[in-house]
Amino acid sequence: MQTKNDNKFINSIKTYFSKPQNIILFVFGILLTFTTLAPIVAIVEDTIKIHPGTLDAYLSGEVSGYSVVNYIDIFTSKYSWVNLWHPLLNTTVLAVFSCLVAIVYGGGFAFLVTRTNMRFKQYLSSIFIFPYIMPQWTLSVVWKNLFDSSAVCGTSDGLLASIFGITMPLWWCKGLFPSIIVLGLHYSAFAYILIGGIFQNMDPNLEEAAKILDTPKWKIATKITLPMVKPAILSTILLVFGSAVGSYPVPHYLGLTTLSTKYISMNAKYTGEASILAIIMMLFGVAIMILNQMSLTDRRNYTTVTGKAGQKSLFDLGKTAKYAIAWGFIIITFFTSIFPIALFALETFLPNPGDYSFLYTGDFRNLTTKWWFTTDPGTDSSMYGQKGIIFNKTIWQAFFGTLWVSICCALLAGTIGMLVGYAVAKNRRSKWAGYVNSMAFLPYLMPSIAVGAAIFVLFSNETMNLFNTYTILIIAGTIKYIPFASKSALNSMLQLSNEIEESAIILDIPWKKRLWNIIIPIQKSTIVNGYMLPFMTCLRELSLFLLLCTQGFIMATTLDYFDEMGLYAFSSAINLILIVTILVFNTVVNKITGASLDSGIGARDNA
Amino acid sequence: MKITDRKVFAAFFVIIVSLFVTTGCSEQKPKKSRVDDIIKEAQTMTLDQLAKKAIEESKGKEFFGLGNSSRGKDAIPKFIKYLQKIDPSYNLSFEWQQPKNNKIYDQLIADAAKEKGTFAMTLIQDGTQFKPKMLATGFLKRFVPLEWAKAKNITNLDEYNGYVPLLMISKVFEYNCRGDMAYTNCWDFVYKGVRPLFMYAATETVGMNFLYMLTSKKYSDILKKAYDKLPPEKQGYFEPIITSMEKEVDELKKEITDKDVLHNNENAKYALAWIKLWMDQYNGQTDDGPICNILINESAKNKCGLLVYSKLRSVVESDKVSLNNLKVAAYEDDYIGIGGYGYCHYLFVTDNSPLPWTACALISYLTTQQDGFEAWGKDMGCYSSNPLIDAENEKIHKHKNGGYKDKDKNKPLLYAVKNDKGKDWWENPEQGCLVLEDPEYCTKVAFTIGRWIDLLAK
Repeated sequence: MQTKNDNKFINSIKTYFSKPQNIILFVFGILLTFTTLAPIVAIVEDTIKIHPGTLDAYLSGEVSGYSVVNYIDIFTSKYSWVNLWHPLLNTTVLAVFSCLVAIVYGGGFAFLVTRTNMRFKQYLSSIFIFPYIMPQWTLSVVWKNLFDSSAVCGTSDGLLASIFGITMPLWWCKGLFPSIIVLGLHYSAFAYILIGGIFQNMDPNLEEAAKILDTPKWKIATKITLPMVKPAILSTILLVFGSAVGSYPVPHYLGLTTLSTKYISMNAKYTGEASILAIIMMLFGVAIMILNQMSLTDRRNYTTVTGKAGQKSLFDLGKTAKYAIAWGFIIITFFTSIFPIALFALETFLPNPGDYSFLYTGDFRNLTTKWWFTTDPGTDSSMYGQKGIIFNKTIWQAFFGTLWVSICCALLAGTIGMLVGYAVAKNRRSKWAGYVNSMAFLPYLMPSIAVGAAIFVLFSNETMNLFNTYTILIIAGTIKYIPFASKSALNSMLQLSNEIEESAIILDIPWKKRLWNIIIPIQKSTIVNGYMLPFMTCLRELSLFLLLCTQGFIMATTLDYFDEMGLYAFSSAINLILIVTILVFNTVVNKITGASLDSGIGARDNA
Repeated sequence: MKITDRKVFAAFFVIIVSLFVTTGCSEQKPKKSRVDDIIKEAQTMTLDQLAKKAIEESKGKEFFGLGNSSRGKDAIPKFIKYLQKIDPSYNLSFEWQQPKNNKIYDQLIADAAKEKGTFAMTLIQDGTQFKPKMLATGFLKRFVPLEWAKAKNITNLDEYNGYVPLLMISKVFEYNCRGDMAYTNCWDFVYKGVRPLFMYAATETVGMNFLYMLTSKKYSDILKKAYDKLPPEKQGYFEPIITSMEKEVDELKKEITDKDVLHNNENAKYALAWIKLWMDQYNGQTDDGPICNILINESAKNKCGLLVYSKLRSVVESDKVSLNNLKVAAYEDDYIGIGGYGYCHYLFVTDNSPLPWTACALISYLTTQQDGFEAWGKDMGCYSSNPLIDAENEKIHKHKNGGYKDKDKNKPLLYAVKNDKGKDWWENPEQGCLVLEDPEYCTKVAFTIGRWIDLLAK
C-alpha cells in the first residue's frame, strides 16, 4: 500500500515537472522568494530596530534592540501630520493624477497610432517615448528653466519671463500641479508602449462585427475595445502608480513633499520612521497589485490573439482631423522631447549653468566649447580639474561600465521575466503561479534606495564582498527589473490563445521549438519591450546603485558626481550620451529583430 | 483554514524568520579593537614614520575612502606621490566615494557590520549625527596626528575631547545688488516678503545645525544685539513674533533637562523667532550651485541667500551674469549681526579599516601638509583647521586678494566679493561673525529644539 502511494506521489511529481511551465514556476518561485523577501524583511526590521543617534534611540532611551516607538510616534504624535499624513495625501493625489495623465495621454496616443488613420505616425511614435528615455528629473529641470520667474518664484527669470516677460502663477511653477504633469508625461510613454502593444495585437474582428451591426462608436469603445485592453490598462496603472508613489526626483526638484521626499529627509534623524514610510509606499503598490491579481483570476478571458487572421481596418478621423491631431502632437512632443534635449545640448555650451546671455544679447561670444574640448584644465577653476567631455576618461569608463551592466540586466531580467510571464499565463488559475507572479513583481514596489541598502548588506560582507563590482549592480538590477519583463510578457501571453500552442503540442513539437518558433515570433514586440525597458531604465538608474559602487563606476553615479560639483555641462552631456545610446540600441534592435519599443505598436504600418 | 493553506503559511513564516536571522542587526562592537591599538601607537608617530608603516601595509593594494567632499579624489594622488618619494616603487589604487543625501551614514553603518570593512577612513560632516551614530557605536575612531596636535597646542591627548577637522567651510549671506535693497542686518533676511534661498534640509542636513546653533546663548545674544539696532518700524514688525516665542521657549524648557540649553538663555526667544521666520520664508533649492547661479544673474534683483562661499570661484563673466551683481552681506561696513555659518569636515578612521596605518598616514598628510590640503585650499572659502597650513595656504593662493586682477593688490579690483577675508576674520564675532557648528550642542538639541524646527519644515 505504502509503495503504491509512493509511486502515485512520484508519478504526480513526474507529471507536474513534465510541463516546462511548472519547472519554471518551481525554480523561480524559490529563487524570487529569497531575492524579494530579503530586502522586504530588512525594511520591516528597520521599522522596529533602534538606531543609535536617531529618534527611536532618543524616545526609547536605548541604543540597541527593538521597539515600537517609531510606529507610536509617526501615527499618534503631533508630528504625524507633517511627517506622515500630509506627505501621504500629496503622494496619493500625485500618483492618482499622474496615472490619469499617463493613461489618458499615453493610452489615447496609442489608440490614435494603432487604430486610426492619424498622419506622421512613424515620427510621432518614435518621439513620444523620449520622455521615458530621459531621467525623470530632466523634465522637472526643463519646467523650472521655462517657467520660473524672479517675481513669483524668488529666483532668477526662466526663459518665458526673460524673453516674453510672462510670469506664471506659483501653483504652476512649483508643487503638485507641475509634478503631476511632469510625472504624467514621463510615464505616458510607458502607457503608450504597454497599451499600444495590446492595441496592435488585438484582433479587430469583434469591433468589425459590432460595426457591421451598426453599433455606435462610443459603445464599441466602451463595450468591446476597453474591456479587451483592460489587462494592459491595469498593468499600466500598477506600474505607473507604483513608480509615481516612489518617485523622488520630480517632487524634489519641483518642491512637493511626498512620501519619497520625506523618506529621504527623515532618514537621517528618523530612520525607523522613514522605513515605515517605505512600507507604506510598498503597501500602496501591493493594494494595486491585489486589484490586478483579481482581474487576472477573473472568469472572463481576454484572449485577443487567436491565430486566426484578422483584417485590420482603421478608424477614419476625417480629412482635417487626421492632420490637425497629428500637428497637435508634433507641437506637444516638441516641448516634451526635442526641447529638453536641445536644452541639454545647449547647456554644454553655456559659460555658467542656465546662463542664456547669448539668447538675450545675440552675442555668440557668450558661448563656449571648453566643456567638450579642454585637454588641460590648468588654472580654469570652473573646470574643477576635469578634462573636457571628449577627453574625460572618467566619463567614458563609466559609459562602458554602464553598457555592460545594462546589457546583462536586460538579458537576465528580460529572460527570467519572460519565462515567469509565460509560466504564470499558462497556469493562470494556480495559486502558486499567482504567488510567483507577485514575488517577481514586488521588487518594483520597493523604494530603490531601500533595495540598494539591503543588497549592500547582503552581498558586501566578510564572506562575499561584492561592493563596487559590476556583479552586485547586475544582481540588484536584475531583481529590480524582472517586473518590467514579467508584466509585459504576462500581458501578451494572456492574450495568446492556448489553441496555438496546443496545436503544436498535438504535433509533438518540443517546448523549446514551440517557444522559439511560435510564441516568441507572435509576441515579438512585447518580448523585445521586456528586454528594452530594463535596459533603458538601468542605463539611467541612480537610486538603486547609489550605495553599491563608487562615483565614476557607472554613468548615473558619474552624473550625480558632476552635478554635485556644479559641473552641469558635464551632467547634461552625460544625459545626452544616455539618450543617444538608447536611441542607437533601439534602432539596432529594430534592424536585427524587426521589433523595437515603438515599432511593435504599429506606427510603421501606416505611417 | 485548509491544511494546504496552513502549510503554505507555515512555510512562509519559516522563510521570513530565516531571512530575519540572515539580515538581522549586527551586535554591538567591542569597545577596544585592533584599530584602537594602531591609533594609539600612530598618535605618537610623525608623518614620516606613519608613511613608512603605510607603505608596508598598502603597497600594491586598493584603498577605499568615503567623504562628503569630492576633493578626496584629488588629494589621494598627491598622498601617493608623497609616499613614492620614500619608496619609488610604492603604488596604490584607490576609490573615493562621495554619497549624497546623507547616504554616507547608511554606507558607513552597513560597512561597519562587516568584520573587515571596505572603507579605510572617512571625511564626514554633520556634528549632530557623527557622535551618536558613529563614535558612540565605535564605528569610527578619532586619530589625532602628532604634528597637527602640536600646531593646535594640544599637549595632552587624553584630555583632548575634540575631533580632527580637516577644514571649515563657510556658508555666507549674499545678495543680488542690482536692485535697491540693501541687507544691513541679519534680521533683514527674515523680514516681511524676503525669501532667502537656502538648500533644503533634506538635501543637506548639516544646514539644520546652523539653526540649532542659533539657540545657544552666544548666538541668541548676537541676534538680540542685532535686533536692538534695527530701525523702529522693523522692530515693530518683529516684536509680536518674538513675544509669541516666549511661550515656545517655556514649553521647550519643560522638555529639556540640560541646564546648558535654553535655561540660561534669556534671549532664546529672539533665536526661535528668527528660526521660525526663516523656516516659513526660505526658498528651498536642491543645491548651493543653483542658488549661486540664481543670485549672480542680473534678473535676480534683491534676491538673497545663504550659500557656500566657495561656489563663487567658478563663475564665468557674461553679459547677464557677473560676480559684480553680488554682495557678501558681512563685507559691507554697516552690516550688523551674524554673517553666515561655518561647519567642519571631520576625519576619522573606520573601526574595521582594512588599511588603518595608511588611513592614519593619509589623515596626517591631509592635516599637516599644505600639499595635502591643496585640493581644498586652492579655492576660497575653505580653511584648514591647522593654523600653520592655513597661513601657508594663504601665502600661496592669496585668497585675501582674490578679487584683484592677478590677485595683486596693486592692480585693479575686479570683484570685491572674491576678496576672502580669511578664517580668523570670519570666526570673529565682531567681524564676519559666522555661526560655528558645535557638535556637542547640536547633539544635545537635535530631538528637542530640532523637532520643534522640524514641525516648521516645508
